[in-house]
Amino acid sequence: MAEARVNEYKLHFIVLVLVALTEFIGTKKISIGIGVIALFPMLYALVLGGAISWPKFKFLSEKEMNVAANILGVSFLIFIAKLGANIGPELPKLLGSGVSLIVQEMGHIVGTIAFGLPVALWLGLKREAIGATYSLDREPNLAIIVEKFGANSAEARGALGVYICGTLFGAIYMSILASILGSSGLFHPISLAMGAAVGSGSMMAAATGSLAVIFPEAQKDIAFYSGAANLMMSIVGTYVCIFFSLPVTQKLYAWLEPIIGRKSASSAAEGGRKSA
Amino acid sequence: MNQILTIFIIGFIALIGNWIGYKVPIMESLPGILLLAVITLIGMGFTRILPFKSPVIVWISLFAMLATSPFFPGNEYTAASIAKINLLALATPILAYAGLSLGKDVHLFKQLSWRIVVVSLVVFTGTFLFATLFAEIVFKFQGKF
Repeated sequence: MAEARVNEYKLHFIVLVLVALTEFIGTKKISIGIGVIALFPMLYALVLGGAISWPKFKFLSEKEMNVAANILGVSFLIFIAKLGANIGPELPKLLGSGVSLIVQEMGHIVGTIAFGLPVALWLGLKREAIGATYSLDREPNLAIIVEKFGANSAEARGALGVYICGTLFGAIYMSILASILGSSGLFHPISLAMGAAVGSGSMMAAATGSLAVIFPEAQKDIAFYSGAANLMMSIVGTYVCIFFSLPVTQKLYAWLEPIIGRKSASSAAEGGRKSA
Repeated sequence: MNQILTIFIIGFIALIGNWIGYKVPIMESLPGILLLAVITLIGMGFTRILPFKSPVIVWISLFAMLATSPFFPGNEYTAASIAKINLLALATPILAYAGLSLGKDVHLFKQLSWRIVVVSLVVFTGTFLFATLFAEIVFKFQGKF
């Protein structure tokens, strides 16, 4: 029925070669002035994979790329099973960290808005700012925005923009961020592990992986706490988004926009497409 | 059927990664990978037969926790087998598939304004940094570290 069926085995084969090659190269730590940048197989795999899928090369069709995105979701599920299996043997420890789990979840929710909204308004974004900053804008969040404001709304454009950036360089950025925060010495690996559970498969894998490379002795703890935080996020995430994050962002927007919002940037120009 | 096969193929790739990158012999990783695949499949199946919609991640996490918790039969074997699979060996295939899917968003990205790119980075930073900071404060307050 499907015209031009996608050959999934082509994708699996490329991934197998990428995994074998990048795991063979292994982990490298590069010291830069402010800290250590950890380079490790998953990052090479991401970059090489990205190069292979670069549209100009015409090596993969758009359909194949979409299928790769689906398989990415499935492969994340096995990762999740591994994280869960890490928690089981020490279940009591999970109950003992209930308070920190709830509070860090608030950090995840508040962080996008508290950081993002003022900057978005200062840059001249109008209602795009609501969609762009109310959450990390992964698939479920995108669906919430589209359902509420419509696919052609300014809010949806903002959310889609952050979504695209997340797919394209979210994982790389998260691993750099994890490296910098990790080697800053400001935070305990356990706190960072919780922070790494941002609610996106590839970004979380990259951030957690970086931390595991920087703190090899804490690898079990990192898997434990990022797994627990991710579970927390997946249970409450959607509801919090609908009933808390979105209304709060709208209220804050109404309040802050007249104060910070730049009069010069026109609201019609999707996210301010002005030159000069 | 297709997804079952996909799970096992990804498992096989992780098996190779675990061997090359973390020097765990294939036969030693095999039970752990199979158990992970089975737990994942049970979670996916369970989500499907439930009469209401729920995130599959929740069920897979819970089943994995249950199967390795002290009161579940065979938990020690399950936990020990899965412990042989390095977390990073499971993460590399994820990002390889992520890489292969990147090309589809390149033309969309070219239409974005630089402002939304900056906002994205700030949003990514905010969620990671705030959650880390909040957790750190609670742990410090509790005297955990």
